[in-house]
This record gives sequence, C-alpha cells and structure tokens, in this order.
Amino acid sequence: MSRLTLVGLNHKSNAALAAREMLAIVPAAKVFELLKSEGVNEAVVLSTCNRFELYFCDEREREAGWASELLERLSGAPVEGDSYLLGDGAAVEHLFTVASGLDSLVIGETEILGQVKAAYEQAKAAGMTGKRTNVLFQRALFTGKKVRSDTAIAVGQTSVASVAVQMAETIFGTLSRSEVLILGAGQMAEMTARHMLSKKVAKLTISNRTWERGKALADTLQAAALAWEHFPSALEGVDIVIASTGSEKPILHRAAVEAAMQRRGGRSLFIIDIAMPRDVDEDVHGLEHVYVYRLADLEAIAQKNLSCRGQEMQNAQALAGAKAREMSEWLEALAAGREVSLKHSAAEKI
Amino acid sequence: MALTIEVFLTRITFALYAAATGLAFAYLFSKTEKWSTWMLRLLGVGVLCHLGSFAARQYLFWQIPENHWFLSINSFFGALSYLSLAIAGTFFIVEGKHRLGILGAFVLPFATIGAGAAVFFADPKIGGLSPALQSYWINIHPMVLMTSYAMFGNAFGVGVALLIQERQIKSRKPSELCYRLPSIEELDDLNYKIIVAAFPVLTVGIIMGGIWAYNAWGRFWGWDAKETWALITALIYAGYLHMRFVKGLRGRKAVYVSMLGFASVVFTFIGVNYLSELHGYLSGRG
Repeated sequence: MSRLTLVGLNHKSNAALAAREMLAIVPAAKVFELLKSEGVNEAVVLSTCNRFELYFCDEREREAGWASELLERLSGAPVEGDSYLLGDGAAVEHLFTVASGLDSLVIGETEILGQVKAAYEQAKAAGMTGKRTNVLFQRALFTGKKVRSDTAIAVGQTSVASVAVQMAETIFGTLSRSEVLILGAGQMAEMTARHMLSKKVAKLTISNRTWERGKALADTLQAAALAWEHFPSALEGVDIVIASTGSEKPILHRAAVEAAMQRRGGRSLFIIDIAMPRDVDEDVHGLEHVYVYRLADLEAIAQKNLSCRGQEMQNAQALAGAKAREMSEWLEALAAGREVSLKHSAAEKI
Repeated sequence: MALTIEVFLTRITFALYAAATGLAFAYLFSKTEKWSTWMLRLLGVGVLCHLGSFAARQYLFWQIPENHWFLSINSFFGALSYLSLAIAGTFFIVEGKHRLGILGAFVLPFATIGAGAAVFFADPKIGGLSPALQSYWINIHPMVLMTSYAMFGNAFGVGVALLIQERQIKSRKPSELCYRLPSIEELDDLNYKIIVAAFPVLTVGIIMGGIWAYNAWGRFWGWDAKETWALITALIYAGYLHMRFVKGLRGRKAVYVSMLGFASVVFTFIGVNYLSELHGYLSGRG
C-alpha cells in the first residue's frame, strides 16, 4: 500500500546543528538520486536554513533508524536521534503546519510559504512529483495562505525595521511615492535604509555629519547624499525621516519641523527615531500631521504583535489541522482506489 | 393594510442591509476576510432587492393616472428609501472597487438607518401627486440632491475612519485595526475625492430647484427653510474645498469641516421638513 513518509531535521534540534548546516547546502539533485537508489520516485525536498525535510511516497514502511541513517549519509555528520520520521496523516499535518508558518522561529512568517512553493517546483522540474505530491503540495500552499488570511497569525510585523515600514504604510499606503531621508550612516541607519529600499521608495537621501561616511553609504545603496547643514531644508520635501545618529543631544527640534510643516500643505511626516540617546525632541510629536516613533515604541509594537500571534496559534493550528485531515482522507481514499473530491478550485488558484 | 410587494421587498432590503452592517462590524473586529466578502455579497443582493422594490413602487405609483412618468420620491418613504439605496449603491461601487470593505462599518449604518426609517416610521401609502409637483423636475431635482447626500454620507464614513486611524497612529500604540484600515493619506484622498464629486451634484441640484421654483412659483429663490439650509450645506462644503485647495488643509481638521457639512445635510434632509412651508411635503405640512 502506498504511503507518505516525512524524514526531517529542524531548528528545534540543537545537538545536530552540524548535520543541519551540511544538509542546508546539499543540492536537491543529490537527494533525489539517493532516494531513487532507495526505490523512491516521488519526493519533495524542503531545505531552508531552519529545516531539512524530505516528503516522499512509496510502498514501504520506514523505521526511525533508517531515517537518521539517510540524513547522516547526506550530511556526513551525526544527527543524534534528533531527526523525525512521520507517516501519512502525521506527515501531512506537519507539512501543513510548516506551510502555515506555525513551525517557524517567528510564528506566522511568510517566507516559508515561498520556500515550500520553491521546493515543490524544484521537485516538479526534476520529474519527481506525481498525483499525490502534486495535490499534497498545492493543498499545503493553499492552506498556508488560508491560515494567514483567516487568522491573525501573520498580522503585524515582529521586527523593529519591519514595524517601522508597516507604520509608514499605515500613514502613506504604498511607499512607492514616498521620499525617505536618513540621518546618520551607522549600522542601524543602513539596515533600516535597506528595508525601505526593499519597499521601492521613490527616493532615498542620506545625510551624515561626516560627509565622507554618508557619501560612502549613499553610494553603496545607490542613494543620494546630502550635506549635514542642508538637512533641515530637506524636511519640506520628504515623507519619512529616519534619525539614527550617534549624537548625544537631539538634532531635530520642534522649530525646524514646524517650519517645514508650514510648507508641506498638510502632508503627513513620519519620523522614526531609532537613535540611542534620542535624536528627536519629544514635543515634535505634538505637531499636527507629524508622527514620531521612537525605538521603544517600535519594540513595544513588535513585542505586542508577537504575543498576538502566539494567542492566535490555537486557531491557526486548528485550521491547518482540519485541512490536513481532509488531505489525509483524500490520500487514504486514493490508496484504497477511490477518489474523493477536495475543493480543487481553491487549490488551483495558487 | 395589505402587504404590497414593494413594502415586502423594502423590508427584505432592510434586513439585508442590517445583516451586511452586522458583518461589517464583525469584519472590523475579527481577523478573517470572509466577513468582508459576505458583507459585499449581502449588500449586492440588498441593492438588487431595493431596485426591485423601487420598480414595484413605481409600477403602483403609475396606476394613478396623474402620476404617469413621475418618480415616486415625493413622500418620506420614497425619499428615505431612495437615499438609502443611493448610499448602499455608492458604497458598493466606490468601496467595492477600491477593496475598502473595512469601511462598511462606517458607511452602511446610514443605509440601514435610511431603509429602517422607511420601513418603521414612514407611510408607504401611494397617493396622487399634487399639481405643483407634476413637473418633470420631480424626476430630477430631488434625485440629484439625494444622490449628493448619499455621497456626502459615504464621505462622512470615510472621515470617521480617518479620525480613528489618525488617533491610532498618534497614540503610538496601534491596535490590529490600524493595520487593516486604509492609510491616513488614502482615507484623506478618498474623503476629498468623494466630496469633490458630490459638491457639483449638490450645486446643480440646488440650481435645478431654483429653476423649478421659478417655473412653479415665479421666483428663483425665496429663503424657504429648505433652500436656506441647502445653501448653508453648500457653503460649508465650498469652505472645505477652499481650505483644501488654498490653505492646504488636510487630515483631521479637514474632516471636522466635512463632518459639519454632513450634519447640515442631515438637518436639511430631516429637520427642515418641520420648518419649511414649501418643502414640507415630506412631513405632510406642505
């Protein structure tokens, strides 16, 4: 009788870290080859920095010893009994949990969904998928999307930089028309700047007290550089200011912002103060259309979002579990030579 | 009184609008997109029912010979029903198109209240039009004005959402609602665009009223309470547009002005019926 088997090793195991590191760089072709030599012709390899998982269909029942041996052969390192072997229903449930981001380090993160999709497409391109794996993975992707849209598991960002971007979006909508001014050229400034660039902002300008450092960072990021003494006059035209200098005293005062606001025609100004000690005077936030978020505010939001996701875990798990059971029933019926219908229309949208 | 098909359909419409409003609130505080989808579906069916009830009312209205080819928004029932239809229809088109179902909770209550007031408080009785109203203007003048009221109602809802969003972001402690509402700039833009579109409709409606008044009563303007309040409404919104164009007034303060405008709309539509001699037909005074 045909079965679905999962062999894997994930971020929850510390002992087998070396094996995990090695597995992350094993090419999928090599894995497929090894599986073929074991008589497996239908398999998907999900390999990310946090997990290495093999999903395959064949007739045989496998044992835990076989699984860890397989992983050791692939990695050349011991897995210390940290690997897991799941069959049929449990394997389906695990895949759906993974695709829903419920097995991730940051709960609900969406990157994993893309990784599952890539893993499936890779197997498909290698001719390693069949009816069962096709339906299984399409269904997993569908479930991953559904869990994120029907529960709050992916609501709210969970890192300081992404919270900053999200808050900017609650003010401006899409950031593609927003201009960003970065004050400072340190590590935090660069990180936030890169995050903004990934959102395809209209223009990024960097202003630093030491011209050379500011110019160097601007060149790396293909942004514009602005002399430090000119930044107050730039406040008039930008939408987002990220203050991240090493200054010991605030560098952005109410008077300068107020003067700029008078020439902005009521457009909002979002100021992100991630400097320690702070770069922006507290009374700036009191100005109409000006929103100043400090590092502590962003951290508090990230923390709150994270705990919200935790609270939503149960709902998300229930939904993923329900979809996994439907899928398992489908697989069982198929093995018994019957075909039951899944809601295919929804799965095919992916 | 026997239940006519028209009244029956209006009741169904009211129930559908109420249900859609309920879903809109559920969507506001829940996490799943399906509420929004069902809200728009129920609303769509509601609008269709409403059109059906309108057609039925029209048919009954035209059974009376002197009413022929005139629209039946001459009574409080007809006016409320049309206004509610226009609000729901505008929402369905504008917010549906922009995928702003989340604004349902701010706009749909008006459609529900309008339909509910028609069902519970207004007399659906159909009578013959008084000779003064037997003019092709009755097909245009009230309709145009109420369309502008419906648009202002939508703008008001968007304005409420903007105030909430602004407060959320200013507080530095946004709730989940903050991520789901459109951005401040989008809400501001939408509020403005709706008012920019509604203002000429209001102005044209008032001018049409003047022309009709000239034809019927021999004067363009007579400071009847309805006329005065319509003018006040127009002036408030003109003020809003002026402040926006010339002074760059946006965001919270702009919304306050537009809300004042909407308060004036509500008063013009309902309150004035008890003051006006000439437009008192809705309260049975005229």
